[in-house]
Parts: sequence; C-alpha cells; structure tokens
Amino acid sequence: MTNSIQPDLLALVRDPIDRDALIRHVRAAEDGAVVTFDGCVRNHSRGRRTLYLDYEAYESMALGKIREIASQVHERFPVHLLAIAHRLGRLEIGETSVFIAVSSAHRPAAFDACRFAIDTLKGTVPIWKKEYFEDGAVWADGEIPPAPLETRAAKPAS
Amino acid sequence: MARYTSARYNSPVSLSSQTARVKVLFFGRLKEIVGHAEDSVDLPDGAPIEALFSHYGVSHPELARFRASLVASRNQEFAAWSTPLHSGDEVAFLPPVSGG
Repeated sequence: MTNSIQPDLLALVRDPIDRDALIRHVRAAEDGAVVTFDGCVRNHSRGRRTLYLDYEAYESMALGKIREIASQVHERFPVHLLAIAHRLGRLEIGETSVFIAVSSAHRPAAFDACRFAIDTLKGTVPIWKKEYFEDGAVWADGEIPPAPLETRAAKPAS
Repeated sequence: MARYTSARYNSPVSLSSQTARVKVLFFGRLKEIVGHAEDSVDLPDGAPIEALFSHYGVSHPELARFRASLVASRNQEFAAWSTPLHSGDEVAFLPPVSGG
C-alpha cells in the first residue's frame, strides 16, 4: 500500500544520519514490522586499516536513482513506507553512511524490500567512496551500473 | 578525430547553428585525472557521447584505460555511448559506483 499523505523520506545528507527519525518516519499504527539496514564505516578494507572514508555523489542523479528505487520497492513489495538516507563527505569509523528503514503489515515484505533497496542502491546510484589508509588513499572498487544497449544504427521510425 | 572547443578555456566560437554546447561532469578518479569537476564543450550537434569522451582522451590519454569500466549518463539518466548530444545536455562519465 502506498501512502500518499506521508510520502517516503529519501535524502542525501552531509550531517550525521538520525536513524531514529527515519524509523519514526516509516512506523505507523497499521505496520506490524519495521526492517532497517545500517551501513557503517568499517575499520579495515582488504587487510589494511582504514582511517576514514570520503563520499561524493552526482547529487541530482543520485537522488533521482534513489527515488526510482523507492518506486520499484512499492511496485514489487507490499510495504507501507520507505526511508533512505545516504551521507556524503568525510565519515569516521563507526559512523552510518547509509540507512534504510521499511515498514509493512507483515515482516516478509519489509525484509525483502530492505534487501532489494540496499543491493540496488549499491549497484546503481552514482555515489563514490575514497578510502583513506595510513599510507595513502584509493577509490573503492565499485559496481558497474547496467547501461542501455548501444545502438550503432539510427533508430527506425516507429 | 574532431577537436572540439572547450568553452572553459577558449572563448566560444559558434560557427553555425549546428553547434551544440554541452555540460560535462567528472567524478571520483576521473575528476582527479581531468583536474576539474565540470566543463563546457562545443561540439557538432548530434555527436555521440563516445566522441565527447574521445575529445578528453586527446588531452588526458590515461583516460583510455578506464573506458571499459565507465558508464555514461545524459541528463541524469544512464545512456548508451552512441547517444547523440544536443545543446543544453548534461553528460557525465561515471566510474563504478561504490556507495553504501
């Protein structure tokens, strides 16, 4: 069920993510479950000690892609409300980089929708993280988003 | 290969109505290679995104080794490299994404 009165909360933020506020946003009397995903900054990467991360985004496109994910979630799963917040800028170890909350009447839909949302976000939303170590920094290995097929010939008139 | 005008560095020369000015955005390691986040380029109307990328390859040959891992976008949507460009378009070359 899509609630048109209180819409999903979808945001890119530079300040610490208020996880409780996102949970409160999605949680209503008709819900029997809220499932959350808390993506946090890990202190190691491939055997090296991470000092901190720096996230940047193609902000207008990233927000558009996050809105598309929300639409897909409502099409695929019988959930009530969705909140997705991704933080940008410098993040310290332990801080939340992305937080997702999904509410639904029954738990399976919320679990499935939350998993779909974070997996799709990681594979399609134009956000990049740079990992800072004691001896240097690297752009994290990422996922190549699916791109439209190439059309070498001109499109036939329809 | 056609050489296009980078409006960032040169005063714009509009030779005909067939010139398209596009905004180009760079992110992540591409921004570090090119040296800036945003550019404006004049190119023949209808030129494909691929030609715009080749334009930057002239001044930054190291871009070529990233080509296979990049995805292009036009006006905030993923786009095929063959997509023709027109005035006012916003193009970005996107490295593999690593949010989350």
